[in-house]
Amino acid sequence: MHKPAISAGLALTILLTACGSSEPQEVVEQIVVREPGEVVTEIVEEGDGAQGTDLLALGEDAFQMCTGCHVIEEGAPSSAGPNLHNIMGRVAGTAENYPYSEALATSGLTWDEATLDGFLADPGGYLPGTDMLAGAVRDDESRRAVIAYLASQSSGAGE
Amino acid sequence: MNDLTPEKTERSKLAKWSRRGFIGAGVLAGGGLLIGIGVRPGNPIGELAPKVAGGAGEQLVNSWVKIDTNNIVTAIVPHCEMGQGAHSVLAQMLADELDAAWEDVRVMQAPADGSYVVSAAARLFAAPFTLNAADWIKPTWDGVFTQISRAADVLITGGSSSIRSTGQYQMRVAGAAARKMLVGAAAESWGVPADEITTRNSTLTHEASGNSAPYSEFASAAAEQPMDQTPQLKTADQYRLMGRSIARTDIPAKINGTAEFGIDAQPDGLDLSYAAVVRPPVPGTRALSMDATRAQEMGGVLQILNMGNFVAVVADSYWQAQQAIGMISIEWSQSDSPVKTMDDQFAIFAAALDEAGEDGGEEAASRGDAATALAEAATTIDAEYRAPYLAHAPMEPLNCTAHVADGKCQIWTSTQVPLMARSEVASTIGLAADDVIIHHPYLGGAFGRRLGSEYVAMAARVAQATGYPVKLIWSREEDTQKALYRCADLCRMRAGFSQDGVLTAYSSIFTQRHDPAEASVPAMYDIANTKVRVAEAALHLPFQAWRSVDHSQQGFFVESFIDEIAHAAGADPLDYRLAMLANAPRHKAVLERVAEISGWREPAADGTAKGVAIVESFGTIVAEVIEVDMSSGSPKMTNIWAVCDAGYVMNPDGFKNQIEGGIVFGLTAAMYGELELRDGAIIQSNFHDYKMLRMEDVPDIEVAIIDSGDVPIGGAGEPGLPPAAPALANAIFAASGTRIRDLPIAKQFA
Repeated sequence: MHKPAISAGLALTILLTACGSSEPQEVVEQIVVREPGEVVTEIVEEGDGAQGTDLLALGEDAFQMCTGCHVIEEGAPSSAGPNLHNIMGRVAGTAENYPYSEALATSGLTWDEATLDGFLADPGGYLPGTDMLAGAVRDDESRRAVIAYLASQSSGAGE
Repeated sequence: MNDLTPEKTERSKLAKWSRRGFIGAGVLAGGGLLIGIGVRPGNPIGELAPKVAGGAGEQLVNSWVKIDTNNIVTAIVPHCEMGQGAHSVLAQMLADELDAAWEDVRVMQAPADGSYVVSAAARLFAAPFTLNAADWIKPTWDGVFTQISRAADVLITGGSSSIRSTGQYQMRVAGAAARKMLVGAAAESWGVPADEITTRNSTLTHEASGNSAPYSEFASAAAEQPMDQTPQLKTADQYRLMGRSIARTDIPAKINGTAEFGIDAQPDGLDLSYAAVVRPPVPGTRALSMDATRAQEMGGVLQILNMGNFVAVVADSYWQAQQAIGMISIEWSQSDSPVKTMDDQFAIFAAALDEAGEDGGEEAASRGDAATALAEAATTIDAEYRAPYLAHAPMEPLNCTAHVADGKCQIWTSTQVPLMARSEVASTIGLAADDVIIHHPYLGGAFGRRLGSEYVAMAARVAQATGYPVKLIWSREEDTQKALYRCADLCRMRAGFSQDGVLTAYSSIFTQRHDPAEASVPAMYDIANTKVRVAEAALHLPFQAWRSVDHSQQGFFVESFIDEIAHAAGADPLDYRLAMLANAPRHKAVLERVAEISGWREPAADGTAKGVAIVESFGTIVAEVIEVDMSSGSPKMTNIWAVCDAGYVMNPDGFKNQIEGGIVFGLTAAMYGELELRDGAIIQSNFHDYKMLRMEDVPDIEVAIIDSGDVPIGGAGEPGLPPAAPALANAIFAASGTRIRDLPIAKQFA
């Protein structure tokens, strides 16, 4: 990546050869859900019924709301919120390399179904001082599904 | 004092050239005067002319000034407004030389489209003009390229150059020439001697005959007047607008929210879709395959693309696109970079320096015989300094709106280099440059980041591949982790003293040299033997110029080590510097003044101490004193003083704003700025772990200006930054005895 500082003469040579060096780039893969101008027709979701009964799938879908701030892949660096891999059974405020709020770091909580349920329903009410100002999961069924999904992403907690 | 920097000779040649612009005049369609100012053929940049102009006799014009029949003066300049206030000051300079009414002067940013390049207006000039300079200035911002392109100054905003190049050599010249032509036309019409006509507030007056007329009345006739290529410019005592803190014209729109930034683009008649992107976590890797099974079923998702060097989701809204892209699992290729952590990167730097040894590497500057002087020195001191990678982190996320249709591509984006962006889009999607139209409104911060155009080309590729007009927005995490960076570096310093404690030799060696060439060289100090070397080493992360470029790390290395030298000599660090500035009177005056306003020689309050640093960059000499309170065990800045000599300051308030901004930007980096690596990927992601200084962290900053008169004027956007980190580090040493040789500082006291 590093270009040394060089004499003007050499610079010009490189300058000129650099022109037109970028070729049109090809698309490796393209998934077209809808073409521009295409009329949207009602799509009947085949998996709808099954999905409703599949708590994990529902949870994974509902978790999308959380991905604005959280990652859950093992070892992935925390983003705005801490990495949630292995959250079940973890003492609150202990994910590595994440600057927790004082409230969370000193809460003494251990995350399980009950504490997550209370926290996710109303983070600021449950743990005043938390930095998690958005992302409450108020809907009971969604919350149950998200917790099931979090549990599935925790080793020793029902993978 | 330039004997240390051979590069400076080249620089001054270019600077001399840029003073000799080309100006020409024509009549506007519908009446009015049009003046173009550009590059004169046969200048030292002549070898580039074939790449610049379309044919023999063609010129490069980069600024236009027009006086309309409604008396409004409009200048079109090749600089973007990214918060630095350049447009407003350029208007001041033009209006002053033209004696125009301030409220009737407008400055606009040149559009990077065909109509600006080969407009009907251009054909009115003696020769046709072209602005199609994109290709030859493309690989700029690296080493000498910067010097050339800065001199040419074609639609690039950077290098703290707007006022000192376009302002000094184009706006003022155009204003003075136009004024003279207006006077000439009036004199002819009224039958009076030209030198009896006075000008003020866009009005021509001949007192004896009682004639008076607005400029607009003679605007067309003025175009027929002979044009003075080197019109007499005003002297400082004649300035009416220059040198005054006139309120910036762009502020009202920014306060009331009507100012449009790139991300605000909402082109008429276009139903925009939105694109979110993910780029490879490690530089140089590619998306081999993706599993988008879940993403493609998500609400609003229109198309999903694997473009190899990035994956994109196009959706009805940005939120939907960003949500969906998080659901795609992507298999990335393996990186062949040996760098997995910053320790690996610093090991590569160290290996390059080890290999260079005592005598190897490339000599960047030399005075006397440092090797012999060091060998003969009674005592020597050594120090090794480190600087981390840094992100630009501009507040406005990287974004670009692109529409490809009917063989043309329209682009709306925030960029420092509209013509380079245009060229990159054209070559990426296989169009002629003329078929790419770039609209570029205000920039919500850039700091060098928007000298790169990859986000612009990406939007064009997505729009072309999907057929949707798209607004592509990088998440903050993408820009922090997968962009272009201020380089890390390692620098080894050595100083030698004679038996009686006199500094006889100074030597430094480091691995990264981009621009400006003189950044690493303490040329102003009288040190008998000096040697500066570069031993190049590969960077894991791609480089991009970052506010003040090499000065950002070299300012810290050089001015911290000079401080070490002063302490080793048992001297006051400010007095020690003063004693070495006998041949640099401007530097000396700046340093003396900062000692005065900071109360350097007065006793310090308990627990506090002051540090000083002085750096000349982009033509401006800046000395800073920072006072820290270490009584809590960690540094708390309590006061900052800066003294600047830019030759002459066109708008003191705007200049001070820029110096203060540079100081805060530099101190943010010094205190917190750091990108770390894990498995070759950047760990930091957003403002929570890539921190900015907060209001409460920043003490009062006092900026004083010295106008030293008849010298080329210096820049403002960058020069405040380089002395900030060393002044702070030197203050911490003075207060606590802890020498900072590694940045950032805050975590060393956590």
